[in-house]
Amino acid sequence: MRLAEIPEAQLRHRLAGPEGVTLVTGPFSTRIRSPVASVARGLADLYGDVRVEPDADWADFHVQVRAPRTPRRWFRPQVLFLSEGRSVFKPLAFHQAFPMLEWGLNWCVTANVKHHLLFHAAVVAREDRALILPAPPGSGKSTLCAGLVASGWRLLSDELAIVDVEAGTLTGLARPVSLKNASIEVIRSFAPDAFVSDPCHDTLKGTVAHLRPPRASVDRALAPVRPAWVVFPRFEPGAETRLTPRVRTSAFMELARNAFNYTVLGRLGFRRTADLIERSVCYDFTYSRLDEAVATFNAMEPPSA
Amino acid sequence: MPWSLPPPDLLASCLAQPARLAALSLRQWARVLVQAREASLLGTVCHLAETHGGLESVPEPVRGHLWGGRMAAERNAEAILWELRCLQRELGWVKMQPALLKGAAYVAAQTPNAPGRLCNDVDILVPRAEIDRAETALRWMGWMTTHLTAYDQRYYREWMHELPPMEHMRRGSTLDVHHNILPETVRRQPDATRLLAQARPLGDGSGASVLAPHHMAIHCAVHLFSDGEWETAIRDLYDFHCLVKGFSAEQGELFWDALLDEADALAVSVYVHHALRCSRHLLGTRVPGRVISALSAQAPGRLRQWALDWVFLHAASHRFTSRRPVRHAISRLALLWRSHWIKMPPLLLLRHLFYKAFLAPRDDAADAVKEQGAGRHG
Repeated sequence: MRLAEIPEAQLRHRLAGPEGVTLVTGPFSTRIRSPVASVARGLADLYGDVRVEPDADWADFHVQVRAPRTPRRWFRPQVLFLSEGRSVFKPLAFHQAFPMLEWGLNWCVTANVKHHLLFHAAVVAREDRALILPAPPGSGKSTLCAGLVASGWRLLSDELAIVDVEAGTLTGLARPVSLKNASIEVIRSFAPDAFVSDPCHDTLKGTVAHLRPPRASVDRALAPVRPAWVVFPRFEPGAETRLTPRVRTSAFMELARNAFNYTVLGRLGFRRTADLIERSVCYDFTYSRLDEAVATFNAMEPPSA
Repeated sequence: MPWSLPPPDLLASCLAQPARLAALSLRQWARVLVQAREASLLGTVCHLAETHGGLESVPEPVRGHLWGGRMAAERNAEAILWELRCLQRELGWVKMQPALLKGAAYVAAQTPNAPGRLCNDVDILVPRAEIDRAETALRWMGWMTTHLTAYDQRYYREWMHELPPMEHMRRGSTLDVHHNILPETVRRQPDATRLLAQARPLGDGSGASVLAPHHMAIHCAVHLFSDGEWETAIRDLYDFHCLVKGFSAEQGELFWDALLDEADALAVSVYVHHALRCSRHLLGTRVPGRVISALSAQAPGRLRQWALDWVFLHAASHRFTSRRPVRHAISRLALLWRSHWIKMPPLLLLRHLFYKAFLAPRDDAADAVKEQGAGRHG
């Protein structure tokens, strides 16, 4: 059953109730409870195609988004994100409840998952070959990811590369792509047909909005893809579009630096990272114009593997 | 009834009878996973599932999390053993041979609770008279003191039973150097020379030693039942259960005699009494009747015993899955107060609380971490 099949009033009711709503995003299921209206609205807008477990016996993560049980419930209201009953972030202003849920869902994976190798990277795919874009925040990887997805690439994730520790293939989450500040308008004009949620202002990262994942990406989230390209993007105002090959050893080091649980996996983490690099071609990429950037990636041929 | 004692959590009953793991439904597994996550017991549960029915009998979505927990514990154990080798070399220069405590001791001595267990830092015990020499030696080797405010330094050095936690400048590991198992300020401080005199070399050629079996169990009990933070209480109780079960199977009555005698000599029988009582209730630990009756001489009066049982058992249950969140919160708070009450005489306590409430610099470090966490995830 897809989330969109639940009428909005019922969705709100279920989210506020003790059972909540269990969403299946890629390999993980998350039980979400929240009496907050903007959370229900955000889920209805952005997660419509996502599968819901009707009577879930199981969830990988159990989260809540709600007001604190203090005077800050009424006075300059705040909101909390709780994972298994524990608040994991500082409280935020109440209107930021939905972006907080999104950050929290990322946190659940990075804090708890040790049976997949995880990198801080956006991942999109063409056929069954993955383009991995590892980069720190502010490098324009989400914008690039959104642009590629709007141009027909399959979305795996804008934040997390999930590598199967046995097969070395990548799995997707197909959750909304988070857009910040100027990139919201960039994506709106680049892809007028894509659904972008109403912006939420004054967050930790400025103004935030989310791009709805395409239905095809959601449905194929679990179909494994093989690594093909590892590209380190950098947005630079006014820069020419420039794709330069990067030596594999240095790409390896940079990718490992962006791993969340590389050390936990020890030797296995090292081998999987090395495999991934060996099966890919690696580049540095500087850009300022999204259409040129997308054209560059559309023209790339995957390595034979 | 509000006065009735809570039944053990599902996690606790699985730790008590690991054979139950093979028969859990997916819904029950979801519960066990959440409880084990909070108590840092994922690796332990994975080990138990493997040795009781095999990981294949665990439902598919659960298996990955357990496997990850075991993986994390294995890497952690490797890191701890490596850290111990470094430490051995660093203290070997000054001919000091400390005894390992808690997690590091379990990992190094491969006690029955070691497989799958996580430990965050290394704890060592040195003689009181040598604590300054140990600190100087460690500083030369790159260990730096933390908690730099004057009050915190004084808190540790004058009132506690350990130096302020040290951190290695290159390796980033944390080290707690103890000279006793209870603070200086308790009403009757144990005689720590007994612990060091009976410590046993590990026999792995490293020269490191761990406490004698009875002392290891005693320290485990004292640590938990004087502590105010019970998030991982079930893990500590499971440590105690495994130690007592393993050592009594090995040494029989000798172990129980040594446990009783030494608890008495160290003036900590009451902690052992509480630990055995809770671990019998929650984990079904087998204890000879004579040990129970010998320790009951140390037991508080009937009403106080009931109140303590109520507090311990509610506090040991898991917060998020608790059916009684209010009682749970009351009992955790009560334990926090109790631990301060045990550790400090009233006037000192009043002064400490006043400082913490009004004068201490705000702990922004924890907030900064949280903020960074949010910053990295979106």
